[in-house]
Amino acid sequence: MDLPVDPVMTKINAVPDTSRYSISGLTVAADLEIPGAVALTDVWQTADVTIASGALPDRLDGATGGPNWQMTKTAFLIVVPGIIRMLVSNGADIRYALIGDTAIEDAVAFLSGTGFGILLHQRERILLHASAVRVGNRAVLFCGASGAGKSTLAGALVTAGYDLVSDDFCAISIDAKGVSHVAPDGRQLKLWRNAIDRLALEERRRAPVRSMLEKFYVEPRAATACPLQLGAVYMLREQRATLAPGIARPSIVDGTLMVRGNAYRPAIVRRMAQQKLYFDASASICQHAGIYTLTRPMAFHDLPVTIDWLEAHWRDIGLLTRAA
Amino acid sequence: MNKIWLASYPKSGNTWFRLLIANLRRDSPVDINDLPHSGGMASARARFDTVMMFPSGLLTHAECDRSRPDYYRATASMRREEGPDDRQDTAIDNVQFSKVHDAYTQTSLGEPLLGGPSAASGAILIVRDPRDVASSLANHGGWSIDDAIDFMASPDSGFCNRTDRQPNQLRQQLGGWSRYHAGWLTQGDLPVHRVRYEDLQEDTAATLRGALEFAGVTVTASEIARAVDFAAFDELRGQEDRSGGFREAPRPHGAASFFRRGVAGGWHDELTRAQRERIELDHGGMLAGLGYTW
Repeated sequence: MDLPVDPVMTKINAVPDTSRYSISGLTVAADLEIPGAVALTDVWQTADVTIASGALPDRLDGATGGPNWQMTKTAFLIVVPGIIRMLVSNGADIRYALIGDTAIEDAVAFLSGTGFGILLHQRERILLHASAVRVGNRAVLFCGASGAGKSTLAGALVTAGYDLVSDDFCAISIDAKGVSHVAPDGRQLKLWRNAIDRLALEERRRAPVRSMLEKFYVEPRAATACPLQLGAVYMLREQRATLAPGIARPSIVDGTLMVRGNAYRPAIVRRMAQQKLYFDASASICQHAGIYTLTRPMAFHDLPVTIDWLEAHWRDIGLLTRAA
Repeated sequence: MNKIWLASYPKSGNTWFRLLIANLRRDSPVDINDLPHSGGMASARARFDTVMMFPSGLLTHAECDRSRPDYYRATASMRREEGPDDRQDTAIDNVQFSKVHDAYTQTSLGEPLLGGPSAASGAILIVRDPRDVASSLANHGGWSIDDAIDFMASPDSGFCNRTDRQPNQLRQQLGGWSRYHAGWLTQGDLPVHRVRYEDLQEDTAATLRGALEFAGVTVTASEIARAVDFAAFDELRGQEDRSGGFREAPRPHGAASFFRRGVAGGWHDELTRAQRERIELDHGGMLAGLGYTW
């Protein structure tokens, strides 16, 4: 005898065809594997964000934009030429289409970086282009443009005993008391071969970020999975003529401008009229944590000295307890 | 905004020329460390990332090259983008001068790398005697003069072309000294005004005036004279000494100072006879074409 089929049970019994990840404190359902992200074992968890392939429009009505992107208040359409097209909507949905014969493994870094960054901007997070490590029970951020040395410094600090919090961007949320928190963007570093060699991290090297790049995911010695209160924000600067080395505290006005200038995509902040959000966040960060400039030589052999400066500073501002 | 490429093989006087323009219509010499620098350069990475909204560092050099024509066309009339590096290009009146060291090449899709006539209205090509370039390049990079001569002869030579790290700028293919100049002089997309470093030394005011006329900028004789004074070698070198350095100077492995001699013909006492002969053998045709004698 055939038993009647319960439609509800059938639906629940089907294993979902998406994986679950935690990125910057959000639960993400994705139809692809996201290397470097924190994978969740509970595949039934309700997702805040969906990443899936699908058909994309050629243009957005009423949009403004740049050479390869268009945006409205709720949607952002971007093309990485020859690789991937992405539509990021309502801070909750990333739809993508691969271009030509691009393999998903060669495009996923643009989804988890560029696409997710745009999505966090849409969610009105304070999103900084920064790496972060855990010092005591606080997150310490290192801001700078691509190439400023964020991941390398984070890699050196992880090797020196601090847990990784973020590699590329930090989404800051501010609670009702004005206290800032940072959720990790992933569980792995992304480092170039040269940095892996110089930091002696070969054993921890994993898959390439894209098959044709000598940039790899690197398993950190330890990573933090939970949100941390913000301890300090450093703006990375290279020591060149006229810039004195060391750690300094800029004026509140300068610090505010630095925070906004180090937004993941400053043009989105401007176009979405989020300047006040960043101004208020900067004021709160100044009050509860601290904004500093870290001006240092960028050679690998200078990293230990930079770490010495940082540790001395962390003792000064109470993030590390002083040695007896 | 009208864009003019300020093109030159490295160490040919591009910075001096930009300082001359930056000193036009000023009451005191511009601070060498306030000169809009690599942020406005064609190969600036941060600006590419800001405009295109994705990280160039995740592209191969060839993939990045394929996006560059669109990028230059989009930024042709764009003066400034907010970001960590928001310095604008050297500009006067309605003309924006943008430094470029890239050779004039086509992408694999057959487009001019620099975007062709929709990205700029012309180019000022600054050329310098390769025998002087060799010693200046060696000093700048902390190389031997022979290494510099090899580099200038190599068709594969370029800046920021490593693949095991993210260079601070986008890759710039140079193609060797002769091919570099042949590329810029024979392309048919843009009008080119040639400025010889030696002429700039010999008669700075007249040479600068000719270049500015080409670019469509009208300046008075006294404005030119003042800019020439403000960007005189002694002034630049003095500022470099007093301020603790020039931020565009190479990193510690290279030269002690950026403004080194500021002379034409310094090669007479810096190159051996064999070195001079090798450069003349490598580049004889282009040397003659550009009016240099040996």
